[in-house]
Amino acid sequence: MIPIRDENPNNETPFITYGLLGLNVLVWIFVQGAGFGTSLESSICEYGFISQDLFGTSGAAVCPPSSTPPALSLFSSMFMHGGWMHLLGNMLFLWVFGDNVEDSMGHLRFLVFYLIGGVIAALSQGFADPQSGIPMVGASGAIGCVMGGYLMLYPKVKVTIAVFFFILFWTFRVPAYLMLGYWIGVQLLSGLATSTAGGGVAFWAHFGGFVGGCILVYFFKDKELLANHRYYGWSDTRAEESIWDDPRNRQ
Amino acid sequence: MSFDIVPFEQSHLGDVIDLITLHDEDDGEAAEYDLKGDVEDHWVALVDGSPVGISGYRKVPSTDGTAYLSWTYVHPNHTNQGIGRSILNYVIGESRSSGSNKMFVKVSNYDDGSNVYQFGMKLYESAGFREELTNLDFYDVGEDQIILGMELDTSRSDPTEVKDERPTIRFDGIFNIAETEGAYTFSWNVQKNPLFGPRSFTVQDLYTGLRAVNEDGGRIVFLTFPSNLPLVHKPLQEAGFKYVGSLKNYFELGIDEMHFVHRMET
Repeated sequence: MIPIRDENPNNETPFITYGLLGLNVLVWIFVQGAGFGTSLESSICEYGFISQDLFGTSGAAVCPPSSTPPALSLFSSMFMHGGWMHLLGNMLFLWVFGDNVEDSMGHLRFLVFYLIGGVIAALSQGFADPQSGIPMVGASGAIGCVMGGYLMLYPKVKVTIAVFFFILFWTFRVPAYLMLGYWIGVQLLSGLATSTAGGGVAFWAHFGGFVGGCILVYFFKDKELLANHRYYGWSDTRAEESIWDDPRNRQ
Repeated sequence: MSFDIVPFEQSHLGDVIDLITLHDEDDGEAAEYDLKGDVEDHWVALVDGSPVGISGYRKVPSTDGTAYLSWTYVHPNHTNQGIGRSILNYVIGESRSSGSNKMFVKVSNYDDGSNVYQFGMKLYESAGFREELTNLDFYDVGEDQIILGMELDTSRSDPTEVKDERPTIRFDGIFNIAETEGAYTFSWNVQKNPLFGPRSFTVQDLYTGLRAVNEDGGRIVFLTFPSNLPLVHKPLQEAGFKYVGSLKNYFELGIDEMHFVHRMET
């Protein structure tokens, strides 16, 4: 199940969302060799986040020692990806949800929100398995933070999702709280059901980033910007000018 | 009685100001200032070579063919002779043929006992104008401004969709509305959206303006906005503005001029 688009027009051009999309793609192409050759593996080992490096724990290492300080890898890991599908999937989620969250807080604040979300996500995964020597990469933790923020800001916005079944797919329009609620539920259950030792999807990063986003958004959102946002909150969406229908607001 | 309708010339100014002053001194003063600067699109009715009636229109900039009816007066000695109706219809016809799509006229309900208000309303309504909104206490307490409108191009039909715009609006001043006692409005400009800082029309902007009006001893504030600016509504409502009404298709077909009022606390 993937989101295709939302019915939530922006007030402003989402420069940071576009910038993050571009940066992730550029890093994928120029740092990770677009997944070809040895660049992919070496970049993941060099810039990925490795729990045991940060926490100083011991365990089986799968990478040679990295020259990137562990604290810096909290940031660098969120711009690395493990494959084309990993990159494309993350960028699609960022494309759909990032612009409106940026709209709610302004450009610079959104950049900080995104980066803090990525760090929270990496730390969540780290705390879930401090001995892990497996490098974690991907923007999905930071994007999980964006999705958490989106849920808090625009729960009733209609999101068009595509559901695949082999070569068939269907699209549905569902409220954001259903789509995001389902997504975070899957992350939580998968995190509980999956061993972190073997690698794979960093469900705890997704979960931590998402919960972090739900909380952080209260500190980052800009009331002034949201006062003008048509689809903010749980109330039924109405045209702005309809507030004048209330006799108390009329001469 | 026979009369001629001819384009207004500066040589008519003295007589015209005199006849307007006979009705309303303030209007006479304001008309002199206005007509001295620009006589275009104004006509006078001449009886024996002397002006006994005046009317005209002013195009509203940045609109799609909207015009306001300008000073329209008939000398008290020549009322009820069909002069007012003739010159008004003449002006409406001229405005229509010059490309105007809609015409408005502002009327005061002030009554000095001469029934000029009822007379004017009857004249405008018989010409096809219809009341669109009333700004209560506009000129002074108890003296309202009534705005009437008339579609000049009746073949126009409402567009199916009007595109909303979300510019960054910033207030840059307040000013006392001419010919009123203590009525103010704000001037504002549209800025390019800044990367940082406030990016939208805010309630703080409104409070700043209201404080300034209060310090100036203002009584009431009137604001107008195009109907396709969705960002203005919530801040206006939060700052205590009330919706008065809209002038339909003022800016262009489908984009009205919305009127709001805020009464200063006394």
